[in-house]
Amino acid sequence: MRFATLVFTNIRRRPTRSALTVSGVAIAVTAVVALVGIARSFEKTLLAIYESRGVDLVVVRAGGVQRLGSVLDETLGERIRRLPGVHKVSPALAEVVSFEKLDIFGVLVRGLPLESFILDDIRIVAGRRLQPGDTRAVMLGTVIAKNLETGVGRQVEVVAGKPCEVVGIFESHNLFENGSMIMPLEELQKLMDRKGEITALMVIADRKDRESLDALRDKITSLTPCIEVLLAREYIETAIEVRLARAIAWLTSTIALMVGTIGMINTMLTAVFERTRELAILRAIGWRKSRIVKLILSESIILGLAGAVVGTILAIVITQVLSRLPAAGRMVSGEISPQVILQGFAIATLVGLVGGLFPAFRAARLVPTEGLRHE
Amino acid sequence: MSDPDAGAAVLLRAEQVSKLYRDGRVEALVDVSLEIPRGQYVAIMGPSGSGKSTLLNMLGALDRPTRGEVYFEGRALGSMKSLDGYRAEKLGFVFQSFCLLPTLSASQNVQIPMFETRLTAVQRTAKAAELLELVGMGHRAGHVPGELSVGERQRVAIARALANDPLLLLADEPTGNLDSKTAAGIFDLFERLHRERRMTIVLVTHDPGLAGRAERIVRMQDGRIVTASG
Repeated sequence: MRFATLVFTNIRRRPTRSALTVSGVAIAVTAVVALVGIARSFEKTLLAIYESRGVDLVVVRAGGVQRLGSVLDETLGERIRRLPGVHKVSPALAEVVSFEKLDIFGVLVRGLPLESFILDDIRIVAGRRLQPGDTRAVMLGTVIAKNLETGVGRQVEVVAGKPCEVVGIFESHNLFENGSMIMPLEELQKLMDRKGEITALMVIADRKDRESLDALRDKITSLTPCIEVLLAREYIETAIEVRLARAIAWLTSTIALMVGTIGMINTMLTAVFERTRELAILRAIGWRKSRIVKLILSESIILGLAGAVVGTILAIVITQVLSRLPAAGRMVSGEISPQVILQGFAIATLVGLVGGLFPAFRAARLVPTEGLRHE
Repeated sequence: MSDPDAGAAVLLRAEQVSKLYRDGRVEALVDVSLEIPRGQYVAIMGPSGSGKSTLLNMLGALDRPTRGEVYFEGRALGSMKSLDGYRAEKLGFVFQSFCLLPTLSASQNVQIPMFETRLTAVQRTAKAAELLELVGMGHRAGHVPGELSVGERQRVAIARALANDPLLLLADEPTGNLDSKTAAGIFDLFERLHRERRMTIVLVTHDPGLAGRAERIVRMQDGRIVTASG
């Protein structure tokens, strides 16, 4: 007989309780893997918008943590363009609109100049690109076009009462962009009554080493007060939207983990109490305390790992389902990185360890003669 | 006094062992001294509450004396690094209530003490089979205790006590839960182990007929040894 046989025999003798404990851990792991995974992929997708185009720096209004709330003067773009070391600059005005009748909320609309490098690597799948002279024209990403059940030539009320014509449907390799809309910068400014305003400037530098970027950063910052120049990664990571998503994911996961751990402690303590006599017998016939601890901890860690397996499968199913829903599909890619899964397993092992520790030491403290009296 | 355990003819020696309970108000053992030579078969007898099980617990390091000391091969148990190790390597225990693990088969139960040794899983299984054969339980190796008669359970428990080739077998009322015919079978087994394996056996019983089959009888009353024959 192997030690593992003993561990599994003990787990199997209380199938219902073991199954419930595994469920508890599984829910915690699902929360971690799904929520943290979604938050991560959300962040990654956002970052990819900038990284895939080689955007090095993002210029925003200083002090604003809400990225979309930033307001800059569009003339700043021209001044940055003239700086040495700047390869390309594109302004963008970002607005978030909703289509309440269709239950679609939080759709990003970007106003871009027609020559913006951002437009370079989107592919038109239907209709045409925006052209000079287009008024009240909009291009839709494939996902939002599908969700709005609209197509080329049809009207979309980006702002209620102000219909715009869909001139083209585009596809980007970025999931987040496929759920967004693009309008000529001036048109969006007019539509939103924000003449001369932009949200941010995206800068591609000539040289991408840390020193050159830092120097360029300083030069841009000194152009005008109240602006902040961030690396693309910083821009995303410090965005309140991203931080909130992360915080909510971890908060929910932490609560789930605590519940899972308490469930584990409860199960293992009950198991130890029920087996007081058996454990005392083991001590009496010479088992060391450390071996008793090892036995109980092995049982709880196995339960934890079983929870991790079930939880990971659940999380994969949930994110797959979510990514197919119209409401969430715009942001959830359905991909779960191996890193997040690993995190789920690490956490489940920790739940097993922490949940089993107290019961294990309680078991080890049993005095052999006490247990033998316990008939 | 010269070392009385020299040459280790004496396997186990209790020296002025006392055990007090409830802050000293109950004296379970009072100044008990006892020497057990290697290979002896000793029965400890006495009425309930005479302290015989308490003495056995002290000899088996299941409990520590309030005063006095127990020496095994001349070494004080109190000076040993690990009493668990002492119990695992040197002793075999047989209890009145068998104390088998209910979810494990006879073979698995016998293997439990072997986890404290370096045997591999395969060796453990083989050795358990051998021991079960020795106690006449080879044909029941795969059965859990619930499927065995009480006599069979005690045989399995004895096989388990022998798992790590102990020098000393301690048995606390090993036949207390058995009918007389089954009990006689168990005593035959103890006798055989004593005769064939030269095992030192200390057993507690209150059956005078069975105690009479031991080499030596130690009688106890009120926590004291009243007579020690042999």
